[in-house]
Amino acid sequence: MQELVLIQPSGTLGKESAREAQADASREFEARIAECGPLAYRVARGVLRNSADAEDVAQEALLRAYRSFDRLRDRNRFRAWLVRISFRLALDRLRSAKRREQRDVLWSQPAHQPPTATAEDLAASSEFQAHLDRALEELPEKLRLALLLAAMEGHTIDEIASLLGIPAGTVKSRIFVARKQLAEKLRCHVNITKTR
Amino acid sequence: MPCEHYQNALIEAAATGFEPKGELRAHLAACAACRTAFAQEQSLFFSVDEGLRAVANPEVPASLLPRVRARLADEAAPIRSRRFPTFVLAGAAVMVVALLAARTAWHTNVEQPPSNTASDSTTSSAVRQQPQAQNSNAATPVTGNSGAHPQVAATRIPAHPASPAPRDSMPEVLVPPDQEVLLVSYAEQWRQRKRLPLVAADFDVTNLSPLQITPIQISQLDVKLMAEEQAQ
Repeated sequence: MQELVLIQPSGTLGKESAREAQADASREFEARIAECGPLAYRVARGVLRNSADAEDVAQEALLRAYRSFDRLRDRNRFRAWLVRISFRLALDRLRSAKRREQRDVLWSQPAHQPPTATAEDLAASSEFQAHLDRALEELPEKLRLALLLAAMEGHTIDEIASLLGIPAGTVKSRIFVARKQLAEKLRCHVNITKTR
Repeated sequence: MPCEHYQNALIEAAATGFEPKGELRAHLAACAACRTAFAQEQSLFFSVDEGLRAVANPEVPASLLPRVRARLADEAAPIRSRRFPTFVLAGAAVMVVALLAARTAWHTNVEQPPSNTASDSTTSSAVRQQPQAQNSNAATPVTGNSGAHPQVAATRIPAHPASPAPRDSMPEVLVPPDQEVLLVSYAEQWRQRKRLPLVAADFDVTNLSPLQITPIQISQLDVKLMAEEQAQ
C-alpha cells in the first residue's frame, strides 16, 4: 500500500521556524527583563540619585538591550551587558544634567543646588547621605561602578568580576580604593557631625 | 590626636574591616587616642557602607517593568506595521494609477464624438459601402463583463470597423444590459446624421451632368381697377 506523506512547503516551514525563533527570543527577553530590570534601575539610581531619572534610564537601557538582543552572542553575558549600558546611560544623563544646571546657574545665578529629588528621595537622604552622594559622584567611573555593584545585595566579588569582565583581584582593589577615597572626603563631615 | 606613625595603619585596618593584628593591636591597647581614632574610622567606614547600601539598593518602582513592557510593545508594533504600509502604499498607488487611467479613458470617450468628424471623413466611403457590416459590428457588444456584472455591460462602438485603429481609440461605454441595444442604435443614428454632409462631399463633380435650369414662366398680370370691380 502506498504511503502518503504530507510535506509542508519549505517557504512556510522557514517562516514558521523564524516565527518560533522570534517567539522564543521574546520569551527569553521577557524572563531577562524580570530578572535584570531591577539591577538596571539600581545601577542608574546609584549614579543619578533620583528615582524618576533612574527609571527612565533603566527603561532606555532595557530597550537598547532589546534592540540588540539578537546580536548578543553569549546570552549569559546579558546581565553584565545591561549593567554597562545602564551605567553609561546614567553617566550621560548626569553629565547633561550638570551641563543644564551650569547653564541655569549662569543665567539665574542661584546658589548651588543638588539635582532635583523627589519627596521620597528627600525623606530618605540625610545630611551625611547628601555628602556621600556628592563624594560618590566625584569618584572615577571604574571605582564607582565596582563600589555600587559591591554595595548591591547579593553580589559577590566573583559576580562583580564577571559582570565587569575583570579579575576578582582588580575588583577587590577598586572597592578598597573607592571606599578609602570616600572616607577621605567624608571624614570632616563625620567629625563635624560628631562634634555637634 | 592619634599617633602619626600608626595613622595610616589605623585607616587601612578600618577600611579592610579586619581586626588589627600584631604591633598595631598592642599599640591600640596602650594608646587611648589611637583607640578613639580607630573607633572613629570604623564608624566612618560603617557609615559609608550603610550610605552606599542605601544608594545601591533602592526600592524598585512597581511601574518600571510594566512601563518597559509597554515600551517594548510600542517598539515591536511599528516593526509589524512597517510591512503593512508598504503593501497599503503599493495598493494605493495601483488604485490611483487605475483611477487616473479610467478617468482619462472616460474623458477620451466623452470628448471623442465631436472630434470623430475628421476621422470619419476619411472613412465615409467605407461607411457607405459596408453599412450592413458596420451595423453588425456596432451592434455586437463586448460582453466580457456582462456575465460577471449583470447590472452593466461594456458596449464598444467602433469608429471605423475596417481600419486597424488602436483599442484605446474605441469608445467603450458601460450601460445596463437593457439599454445596450438602444445605445447602439442611437450611436448608429448619430454617426449617420453626422456623416451626411461628408457623404455628399465625396461625389465626383466631373462625373455630374451640367445643371439645367428651366426659365421661370410668369403669366401676364391682369390688373383691374377697384371701381370696375365694385361696378361688377
